[in-house]
Amino acid sequence: MFEVRRWYTRGALQLVLTLMVVPFVFPLIAMVQGSLAGSGWGNYATVLSLGLLPRFFINSVLLSTAVLVIVLACTLTAAFGFSKLHIRGKELFFWMLLAALTLPEVVLLAPLFATVTAAGAYNSLWAVIVPAAALQIPFTVLLARNFVDGIPDELIEAARVDGANTWQAFRHIIMPLTRPIVAAIVVLVFINSWNGYLFPLLFLQTPEQQTITLVPQYFVGQFNNDQTKVLAAAVLTALPVLIAYISLQKFFERGLAAGALK
Amino acid sequence: MSKNSAAVKSVEQPSLNGQSDRGTNKPRRPDTAERARGKRLDRRFGFPWILPAMIVSVGVLYYCIGYTGYISTLNWDGASPEPIPVGAQNYTHLFADPVFWKSVVHTGIFFVVTFTVQVALGMFFAILLHSKVRLGVFYKVLIFVPVVLAPATMAPVFRTIYAPDGQINQIIRALGLHDFSYAWLADQNTALIAVMSAAIWQSTGVVFVLYYAAMSQVEPELMEAARLDGAGNFRIIRSIIWPGVRGTTLAIAILTAIGSLKTFDWPFLITQGGPSYGTEFLGTQIYRVSVALSQVGYGAALSIILLVLALTVAVILNIAGKEKGARRV
Repeated sequence: MFEVRRWYTRGALQLVLTLMVVPFVFPLIAMVQGSLAGSGWGNYATVLSLGLLPRFFINSVLLSTAVLVIVLACTLTAAFGFSKLHIRGKELFFWMLLAALTLPEVVLLAPLFATVTAAGAYNSLWAVIVPAAALQIPFTVLLARNFVDGIPDELIEAARVDGANTWQAFRHIIMPLTRPIVAAIVVLVFINSWNGYLFPLLFLQTPEQQTITLVPQYFVGQFNNDQTKVLAAAVLTALPVLIAYISLQKFFERGLAAGALK
Repeated sequence: MSKNSAAVKSVEQPSLNGQSDRGTNKPRRPDTAERARGKRLDRRFGFPWILPAMIVSVGVLYYCIGYTGYISTLNWDGASPEPIPVGAQNYTHLFADPVFWKSVVHTGIFFVVTFTVQVALGMFFAILLHSKVRLGVFYKVLIFVPVVLAPATMAPVFRTIYAPDGQINQIIRALGLHDFSYAWLADQNTALIAVMSAAIWQSTGVVFVLYYAAMSQVEPELMEAARLDGAGNFRIIRSIIWPGVRGTTLAIAILTAIGSLKTFDWPFLITQGGPSYGTEFLGTQIYRVSVALSQVGYGAALSIILLVLALTVAVILNIAGKEKGARRV
């Protein structure tokens, strides 16, 4: 793109790039440095000795997995229906979904709270799973429908001529061919539900039920605002996502970039 | 699966097996009547395919919006069994509420600043990483890492960085101002900057990846030709690359505008909307009003306004995008 011929301009570019990246790394360094202040690795030992950390992780895994399963099941079937099947008033339904694309989650606060309390789901993961899935589906359906639109109708026709019913066409044509977009959706939905904060904050009250985004808050309460331990907990909660990103770098970049193109 | 095993078994007589396969579990070529029946089946059975998504998403969300609309006409603390209907009073209260207007102004500032900085940084990184620099992947990872980290995890870090004895002040002291210990988060203006810096830190990676992908689509022949005509690097960026990625820029504008309206995690976790509403956004205000002050009816009215703003912004930006011939997002 940028054509650089002389070695010193090339060196200058490299230097400028490095300097500009520093602010992006700086908070991560500050986090690790802060977590080692005071009693050093002892901060980590204290955080881990509480024994509750695994519980937070398990809850986050359960939450993300459930959201993922619901979103994927609803998204793939709906994308197939919207793209390849005859449905009366189809575009009207699609627009109803699209209108929910811009919905800020905080708007759902009052009705969800009233409903969740009435249903006795308060302090249960389901109170977070259902609204989290509901908020993601409009967008994942939009993504997946665009993708399924690109699969030629003739493939479905041919399968039908060979005697396949609608379910078999879905199972043997749509499901294998949508793998790339499914990968993007998995990353997007996983990160969004793993990092979600507002709904867990509202609906999950006891530490046994809480997710990792509530860990800093929990430790602020536990350690009387001892920042070093809060930061040690932050490092520990950031690690799994970091490892996942670095090992699946391409998928993450593609998935989250697709997610940005609302 | 079964097809595969059949294929394995029939290595010696593939053609024969193919025939028998068709003969046993699949009907012969359907005639037109059968085909028409297939179409009819589709029409009857198409709806169940979109039903799960419609129930889980449209059902839940529209129910909640309707419920919010109803609550917004009540004077309700969220617990009392008999809320008092007050009509549009919450809305008249809202437009007279200085905190609401502060939230709107902060959202506007937040949008303009984060959009401008992210586009500038995103373009900058995308152009440089498309040039011949070493260790490109390494830089890419570093810029993108913040995207995957939760604001809830990183907010304590930003609080530490901007604290009076935090890293920012340490750096300034090291540069020579020995007694410098400014409480960045205690001043309205610098607190807003701190919140925006965290948001920019997190979202630049996405903007960068989008531009990086968009720039791969710009035709190299175009740049070659421009170069032969004597255009320099900056001229090429201005006249070829920038117009070439305009669709992406518009998509980023929509994304950032909606994102600004949705802003909650960063201001809530870094400054709690303070000091004295200096970093209040619509999201944090709705939370404070509904949860801390138990004015659920008023919070619902704010929610409805937020919803209307988000929809309006999305529609306006989409229309603007279409008129300029950019790709719809």
